[in-house]
Amino acid sequence: MVIEVDRDRCEGFGFCEQAAPSVFELDENGELHVLVSEVPSADEPAATTAIHLCPVAALHSN
Amino acid sequence: MTTLESEVDLFAPENVADPFAVLDRLRELGPAVHLAQHDFWLLTRYDDVRRAAADWKTFSSAQGVALTPQFNEQLAGSVLATDPPEHDQLRAVLSEKLAPRGLAAIRAQVREYATRLVDELVARGHFDGVTDLAAVYPVNVVADLVGLPQEGRELLHPGADASFAAFGPWGPYVQQHLQILQSYHGWMAAMADRSRLAPGSWGEVVMAAVDDGQLTERAAHSTLGAYMTAGMDTTVNAIGALLQLFAEQPVVWETLKTDPALAGPAFEEILRLESPVQGFWRLTTADTEIDGIRVPAGSRVMLHWAAANRDPRHYPEPGTFDIRRNPLDHLSFGHGVHGCAGQALARLEAKTLIETLLARVERFELSGEVLRRGNPIVRGLQSLPLTAHR
Repeated sequence: MVIEVDRDRCEGFGFCEQAAPSVFELDENGELHVLVSEVPSADEPAATTAIHLCPVAALHSN
Repeated sequence: MTTLESEVDLFAPENVADPFAVLDRLRELGPAVHLAQHDFWLLTRYDDVRRAAADWKTFSSAQGVALTPQFNEQLAGSVLATDPPEHDQLRAVLSEKLAPRGLAAIRAQVREYATRLVDELVARGHFDGVTDLAAVYPVNVVADLVGLPQEGRELLHPGADASFAAFGPWGPYVQQHLQILQSYHGWMAAMADRSRLAPGSWGEVVMAAVDDGQLTERAAHSTLGAYMTAGMDTTVNAIGALLQLFAEQPVVWETLKTDPALAGPAFEEILRLESPVQGFWRLTTADTEIDGIRVPAGSRVMLHWAAANRDPRHYPEPGTFDIRRNPLDHLSFGHGVHGCAGQALARLEAKTLIETLLARVERFELSGEVLRRGNPIVRGLQSLPLTAHR
């Protein structure tokens, strides 16, 4: 699973970081970083929840 | 393919007073039901409503998100009633201020105001949870941020309430509030004169975007209007509903007293349960299918947030307030491209208020009759007489 962030949509709500802290991180400027190039299978359920929780549907996976 | 039709009038007074029973029936009737009364399609199931909200290409906002052509004409060109890329340009003007990272700058200001207001009300002991608190607090927070003068602020909440009603059918509620609607629009138009906006305010940022050529004057007015309206009735009614819950279900307040970290989840759950904004409309740009039901191109479709938020397919025991549910995926703020731009501010306001009350109030008690508003689009209270025990 690879995460794609739509940078034009992301406004830094941070639900993804709460749901999957090992995959998503907001820095001190509220900028979102995806910490892994490929999500380890153990983290896939949390990453899927994170994608679902994004209020502006800025996260996708493939 | 089948078509489902219903004669139910979703906006009849009895269905506005208690929408949930009729929404349950319509949700079970089928995934997309054509309502003959006002000629629109209704989506009520969580997955369908969410998918439609995310699919802005098929479910377009560009022809307006209200039911009637008259009001859609007024909305034209605003952040609510455009699709990308035009929408994104309008949203970008304030998104940095409204995003969580932008709100850090105003945290202390909101807390200071909440403290001042709550101290005064708690000292009084008896107050109206709606007219003295819920309808005062977000109004002044937003008006301060936008940089509006004190004078005329009393128009903001009634004006926003009437504006929301105008998203629905041309019915008695809108007609009874036409005068307020006119005064509100007149006042807002006067406020777009930047000499009246406080320096450094969000209002000034919007007007500066006109100078930069980023926005037309008209788009600036409609965008400011959209944010003002959206910043009022939603938060006002969510807070009103929370206060009613605290008075009617003391166990919820006791749980919060023991564990104040549940303030956030309590707000999410009341948003899910009450859905202050019941829903908005879209227009289909192509023939589409909702779980086997064909909806033709050019149909007006209501995405019913309140119905979706109580879909038992998604939330078990949907009619129950469960403080530990923390339903962060509820649709009360919509979803996707048009997902509420001010949701982080709403959360900041609510959480700050709950925390301020927790530190000062032992328990709430109802001290009179609870009155509901008859607004067909925004669900909320008119009056909530309370006693706050210290």
